[in-house]
Amino acid sequence: MSGNNLVLPIVLWGRTAPTHCISSLLVLDDCSAVITGCHDGQICLWDMTPELQVPPRAMLFGHTSSITCLAKANACTDKQYIVSASENGEMCLWDVNDGRCIEFSKLACAHTDIQFYQFTIGTQREGRLLCNGHYPEVLVLDASSLEVLYSLVSKISPDWISAMSIIRSHRTQEDTVVAVSVTGILKVWIITAEVSRMQDLDPVFEEESKPIQCQNCQSISFCHFTQNSLLVVCSKYWRVFDAGDYSLLCSVPSEADQGWTGGDFISADKVIVWTEDGCSYIYKLPPSCLSASEHFRSDVGKTREGAVPPLIYKIADQPDKKLLICPPVTRFFFSRREPFHKLLIQGDSEGRLSMWNVPDKLSFCLSTELPVSCTLSLQESFDGLMPVSSGIIDQLSAQPGKEQPIKVTASVYIPAQGRLVCGREDGSIILVPATQTAIVQLLQGEHMLRRGWPPHRTLRGHRNKVTCVLYPYQVSPRYDQRALVSGGVDFSVIVWDIFTGEMKHIFCVHGGEITQLLVPPENCSTRVQHCVCSVASDHSVGLLSLKERKCIMLASRHLFPIQVIKWRPADDYLVVGCSDGSVYVWQMDTGALDRCVMGLTAVEILNACDELAPATVDALSHPAVNLKQAMTRRSLAALKNMAQHKLQTLATNLLAADNADKGNLPKYSHNALVVQAMKTNVSDPDMHVLFFDVEAVIIQLLTEEAQRPNPTLVSPRLFCMDKLNPSLIPMFAQVKETMKETIKEHLLDDDEEEEEEQRRREEKSKSLSLLEYNLTMDTAKLFMSCLHAWGLNQQLDLICLERLGMLRPHCPISFGLISRGGHMSLMLPTFKVDQNWELKLTLSDIVGKGTYGLSRAVTTQHLLSVISLANTLMGMTNATFVGEHMKKAPTR
Amino acid sequence: MSSASQVERAVLEEEFNWLLREEVHSVLKQLQDVLKEASRRFAMPSPGLESQLKQENFILGSEGVLTLQGEALTQADINLKMAKSSQVLHFQFRDDKHWKLQQIQDARNHVNQALHLLNCRDDSYHFKTGAEVNKLMDAVMLQLTRARNRLTTPASLTLPSSPPSADAGDVMVNFYINLSKLCLTVYQLHVLPPNTTKNFKPAGSSVLHNPGAMFELNNNRFEVSHVHKVECVLPWLSDTLVFFTISLQPASSSKTR
Repeated sequence: MSGNNLVLPIVLWGRTAPTHCISSLLVLDDCSAVITGCHDGQICLWDMTPELQVPPRAMLFGHTSSITCLAKANACTDKQYIVSASENGEMCLWDVNDGRCIEFSKLACAHTDIQFYQFTIGTQREGRLLCNGHYPEVLVLDASSLEVLYSLVSKISPDWISAMSIIRSHRTQEDTVVAVSVTGILKVWIITAEVSRMQDLDPVFEEESKPIQCQNCQSISFCHFTQNSLLVVCSKYWRVFDAGDYSLLCSVPSEADQGWTGGDFISADKVIVWTEDGCSYIYKLPPSCLSASEHFRSDVGKTREGAVPPLIYKIADQPDKKLLICPPVTRFFFSRREPFHKLLIQGDSEGRLSMWNVPDKLSFCLSTELPVSCTLSLQESFDGLMPVSSGIIDQLSAQPGKEQPIKVTASVYIPAQGRLVCGREDGSIILVPATQTAIVQLLQGEHMLRRGWPPHRTLRGHRNKVTCVLYPYQVSPRYDQRALVSGGVDFSVIVWDIFTGEMKHIFCVHGGEITQLLVPPENCSTRVQHCVCSVASDHSVGLLSLKERKCIMLASRHLFPIQVIKWRPADDYLVVGCSDGSVYVWQMDTGALDRCVMGLTAVEILNACDELAPATVDALSHPAVNLKQAMTRRSLAALKNMAQHKLQTLATNLLAADNADKGNLPKYSHNALVVQAMKTNVSDPDMHVLFFDVEAVIIQLLTEEAQRPNPTLVSPRLFCMDKLNPSLIPMFAQVKETMKETIKEHLLDDDEEEEEEQRRREEKSKSLSLLEYNLTMDTAKLFMSCLHAWGLNQQLDLICLERLGMLRPHCPISFGLISRGGHMSLMLPTFKVDQNWELKLTLSDIVGKGTYGLSRAVTTQHLLSVISLANTLMGMTNATFVGEHMKKAPTR
Repeated sequence: MSSASQVERAVLEEEFNWLLREEVHSVLKQLQDVLKEASRRFAMPSPGLESQLKQENFILGSEGVLTLQGEALTQADINLKMAKSSQVLHFQFRDDKHWKLQQIQDARNHVNQALHLLNCRDDSYHFKTGAEVNKLMDAVMLQLTRARNRLTTPASLTLPSSPPSADAGDVMVNFYINLSKLCLTVYQLHVLPPNTTKNFKPAGSSVLHNPGAMFELNNNRFEVSHVHKVECVLPWLSDTLVFFTISLQPASSSKTR
């Protein structure tokens, strides 16, 4: 979708920050940013200021499972790339500056650690990624294409590699990879120029293999200060080895019930080691570990267990911290450039980053603790925003006496009606025109004074949180256009009439919270075709017939949570995949369990369903999966619509010229704007992303313009033609004629009847809609107002406000960038534009300038969109957003 | 009304605390025991003592004997009757070459990781929130499911990436685990003339390729002419699989609570 269409996302994050349970952490070499990956698969970019503040800037979406590791992926300073890997084998290469996804790939194996290294091959330097994980080799990948080049293999007792470090030896000028396997065997590979050059040849075998009795190895790090020692941290002890012959120099056990999780050298004679509960300890190494000392290696072979070297500092976490649900991630970062920070950084399950600046001169003072330099969680940074980050229907959800609005827990957008359906945590469902509510949230204007604006409708019926809403007609026209289905934590599924707001039926068949509502594929039996499929947390699946108003099948007794629902319509089978890998095949009409399989057969059955109908897959396990599917689906739909649109615009422009009754022209679905609800975690409230399809906006504007009964200005393009070159007219007319013929044929041939029906339906829906408004113009207004660079030119701003009817945004708008394969970066509301923005610019100024100068890719997209849209609007008869009511208002 | 609900709330809270304090630990203990038992089945080679590892012999159908030591097949003595010719194909491993069953190693490592997670949270650890327990259970279950999936779903291979044959040029061999069975597939190959364009279609990846599958290797094209498949049951593996299933159940049920 990104390649062909110009689609701009705008995010309404709401007041609650997304859940960000940090699973991995990376600091960029130049200390300009911290990057964190979380258990739900998102990546957060935090800008780091020289004063060690970390305002979160953007969130990257694309991974579908927990992020296991992050690493930098290039060496040069002008571009900053990082690579991320997730538990299910996905890898992504991102540009840190604009959050673009440059490359992605998926391997069968999961990496637990990635390290970037530049190997020197002759005069060239090649970036490589060394990966280890749940496989017995070390894979060497090209850092720009993410292709596996070769692997480092163990000859002697091969096993998974738990930790690895790369050493550049000054003596031999060789790159050495030192790794410790799960069974505690130290492995050494030497990467010579020949090795790096060869590709896909014989595997590279280890140079040395030495058992060092390090079970549960957590990390291994090389002392960059002396280049003489290695620190190996295991959960129960940490050890220092000689980097030359790997002999043990010292070993320190952990205290009673805590395990070490990592460590590093902070200077030639000091190490920092941290535990799983987030405490860090700085130790001074005994002289036998220091190459500068005369006692170096004096203890080799007689190292005593339990001789604890002096502890210099203890860095504990703050006592007032909230309870954590899983161990925090700690990293030590030593910058080799200005400003030479030595930072200890910790990320925890609350989405909090804490930083300690470790001083160079440490004195023995056990009693004092190192003060934390900076600590900030995503939620705190959201709370500190002024004005607060808005959610899509915050103005309608304000609770008297409470600060927080009622959370939106499920939502669906109906493009055909331009309406957004929001299920909330109090059990009510709100129907609201999407553009109107977005204008209220984003822009300043008269509407701010009105209470209860925009007009909306509230459906009440659920006793508790609404967990899912579905508008079946949108998926398939075989359903009743009026039916809206919602499921809640009160175990019930309710069918509503979307136009009257009436509750039609309540299904109470499940014994657990409803988690998902799905639509069966097209070619099911007629009975099933009028059903929706509901999935509940008691591991049951129901087929609820909207026509018969009863449950025609309930498949329960699955032992494990349901992960995926697939269909074999031809065989009348419903295939349920559970989280333990088992697959249940149900007969839809009889409700009989056909079989239950596991293992290879289960995988084959699931795959067979995919082959038959790729569109009928519905993964439930993870919100990110759903998001990605939604994205890809959307793109397909968008592409299809695009093709249709192009044809139809031409048709409109051509036919309109001599077509008297323009009312007969087909009206197009309003998919210039798509509102997609997203969650990073199932427990989060929905946040909403508005996707603007610039091309679709323009086409709709032109279409509507052409339908306007104004003979002189039928189509801007034709008009221009006429004026520009009279000699071209005959030729153009001819072209027009032929095209008209073909298009007429095409359009009318299609399905005249269906079109007729469609039109009737639309008329009906329009008469029932909440209010009369021009959806396309509203969308364009919202879009232009968001994109305009407010504050750059005072006079222009004034014209925009008064003559063009554009509105100034309340607050900086969070834009996004869609890149390859549905990967997406969304700006957080907390992003800071410039270092000095606080000093000079007023809020209204940042509002506009914020959008520019963020990143080149985003700016390009915005400029393109503004220019093309402005050009279109200028060619129109009423090139202003000033509505009738606005015109009457006295000019100031 | 409100006082009643308050009492109710207090009772529920008390019960929840009990759950966190007592019940969770008993479930964890139970899990740990089951996993220890499972992990014991995977004979773990302690470094330096590989040779002392127990050797197990398995009779592979009527065709021969295999020796499994830990995760590696160390000896084989297999006779296969070739199709067409009544020739009998005899296999043996070279003394210095072992066939490592990566599936067993992976499963073992996943189990050990799950055990490690559980060991970190023994009786002395006090769980403070339900979310914490959920997170731990998620992590443990992920490892267990992985371990089981490694055994139940053998990796599918494209023919050229299949491990190379023992010695004979026109035979390819693959050993793998499917559920608790150790399987051996032998592909008899037939070299295709290099210039034939006769619908050469390289086969995709699959666990078991059928006769007629074609592939290219070192610029030579081959066609699979015959496939032999023999298997035998590894009793300790079936035990482990049972353990996995047993241990997944309390894990998931404690999660749902």
